[in-house]
Amino acid sequence: MNTFVMALRGLYGVWLREITRATRDRAQLIGGISRPLIWLLILGVGLNPYFRGEVYGEVRYVIPYTYLQFLFPAVIVLNIMYTSIQFAVSVIWDREFGFLREVLVSPMPRWLILLGKVLGGATVAMLHGGLVLILARFADVTLSLEQTAVALVLMFVLAFGLTSFGVILAARVRSFEGFGVFSNTVILPLYFTSSSVFPLDPALTRAQQAVTYPEWLVFLVQINPITYAVDALRGVLINFNQFPPLWGPLVIVAMAVVFFIIALIDFNRQ
Amino acid sequence: MKRRPHRWLQAAVNLAIVVVLLTALSFLPPDTSLKDRQAAGVLKLCVPPSYPPLVTGDPAQPGFDVELVGAVAEQLGLRLLVNTLPSIGSDFNPRNWSLTRGQCDVIAGGLADTVQTRSFLQTIPTSAETGWVGISPTGQLPAAGGTVAVLPGTSGLDRLALSGWLREQQLAVVPTRNAQQFTEALQSGRAQAGITESFVAGALNLGPDQRIFWLPDDRFPHYRMALGMWKGDQTLKTAIASALGELERSGAVDGIESRYYVKQYITLSP
Repeated sequence: MNTFVMALRGLYGVWLREITRATRDRAQLIGGISRPLIWLLILGVGLNPYFRGEVYGEVRYVIPYTYLQFLFPAVIVLNIMYTSIQFAVSVIWDREFGFLREVLVSPMPRWLILLGKVLGGATVAMLHGGLVLILARFADVTLSLEQTAVALVLMFVLAFGLTSFGVILAARVRSFEGFGVFSNTVILPLYFTSSSVFPLDPALTRAQQAVTYPEWLVFLVQINPITYAVDALRGVLINFNQFPPLWGPLVIVAMAVVFFIIALIDFNRQ
Repeated sequence: MKRRPHRWLQAAVNLAIVVVLLTALSFLPPDTSLKDRQAAGVLKLCVPPSYPPLVTGDPAQPGFDVELVGAVAEQLGLRLLVNTLPSIGSDFNPRNWSLTRGQCDVIAGGLADTVQTRSFLQTIPTSAETGWVGISPTGQLPAAGGTVAVLPGTSGLDRLALSGWLREQQLAVVPTRNAQQFTEALQSGRAQAGITESFVAGALNLGPDQRIFWLPDDRFPHYRMALGMWKGDQTLKTAIASALGELERSGAVDGIESRYYVKQYITLSP
C-alpha cells in the first residue's frame, strides 16, 4: 500500500473516530437540539409580539423579514459555534487519557492527524447546524435545494474554522473545568455581538447607526468575524445582507485558513 | 453466538430521534393570529376607496384584491369584513395612514411586493404586476433638460432610485400630489412627460395622444402586487398562502383575474 493511501486511511480513521464518538453521545445531540429550541422556539416566539407590527409604517426594526426569520440563521451559527468550540474538550480528553500520545507516535504526519480531528469536529458541527434547518418551517423560511446546499458548504467551512479555534483554545487550557468556563466566555460574547439578535439596518449610515446603538457596540459588531458568518448565512437563507454579500464567505474562508495554521503550530508544539 | 449490532446503528437511532423530534416541533404554531381570527369568525381587509382594478368601490364588482381575499376568507371559513379607509394613500408616509392591527388583518389595494413594503408588513404576492411607467406622446422620455411630472403613488415602489435616475438623466421634475395635478401638468405642457406607477397610469384619464411605456427594466424591475399582513402573524399568513395556493390550483384565481383584466389593464406602447 503506498504512503498516500495509508495517509488517507489514517485521516479517515481519525475523522471516523470523531464522528462515531459524537453521534453515539446522546448528551451532545441533546445539546444540539436544546439550543435551537431555546433560541428559536422560546426566545424567538417570546419576543415575536415585541417585534411585530402594530401600526403600518411603524416597526421596531426596519428589515424586510420577521424576527423569527431574522433569528433563524444566527441560531444555526450558534449551534455550530458551541459544537465546534466544545470539540476542544475532545482534544483535552485525548491528551489527558493518552490517546493523543498513541496517535502521535503513529507514522501519520501531525498535520494530517490534526486535519482528521478538525474535519471530524467540523462535520459534527455542520450536522448540528443542519439540524436547525429542520425548523425552517417553524420560522417561515422557505428553502430550495440549492440554498440548502450552499448553506451547508458555508456551515462546513465555518465549522472547520471554529473547530480549529477550539483546538487553539484547548492548547491554552489544561483542564475540562477551565475549558467549560472559558468556552462560554468566548461563545456568548461573540454570539451577542454578531448582530444575531438585533439588526444593524444596512440602509443607515454609521452616524445614523450610532443614534440607534452606542458607537462602541456598532464597533464591536463590525470587528466581530462571526457577524460576517451570520450575514453570509442570512444572505443564503433569507436573501438579506447587512454587509456586502462577498464579505461573509471571505471572512469564513479566512477564519478557516488562519485558525487552522495557528492550531497546527500549537499542535506541533504539544 | 450473539450477533454484534451494526456500528452505525446507535448513531442512526440517535439521529432519527432528533430529526423526528425537531420535525414534530416545527409544526408548532409560532403565534395565535390564525386562532384569534377563527375565534372571531371574521377576516378584516383594509383597502383604499379606489385603486382600479384591484379595488373599484363598486359593490357588484369590488375589485381583484377584494374578490381574491373574499375567496380566501371563504376557504378559511371566515366572514370577510372590508374596511374602506380614505386615509390609505393620502400621504407618502404609510405611518400617516394610521392603519392599526385592530382595524386590519390584511391590507390590499395597491401594495407592491418591494423591500420597502416588506420592511413593515409580511407580504403574499398576487398575480398583478406593477412598476414605474412613463407617459408621453412620443412613447419615450424627453432628452436631458426636459421636464417630467412625477406622481409617486403609494404602492411602495423605490422613489429614491427613481429620483436618482432622473437626476442622472438631467430631467427636471414637476412634483404632483394627485392624479388631477398629474394630468393637468401633462395636458398644459408644463411637463413634457410623466412618470407614475403602472396601475395609477391605467386609471388616469389620459388623452388619446399619450402613450404609456415601462421605464428601463434593468434599473426599474417590475414588482408583483401583494396582500400585506402584519409582521409576526405567521400562522395567519401561512393559512392565507395555503388557501391562495388551492384557489390557484382550482382555477378560481384565473377566473377573478380575467374578470378584471388585471394583466391587460394598462395599454403599453409597442
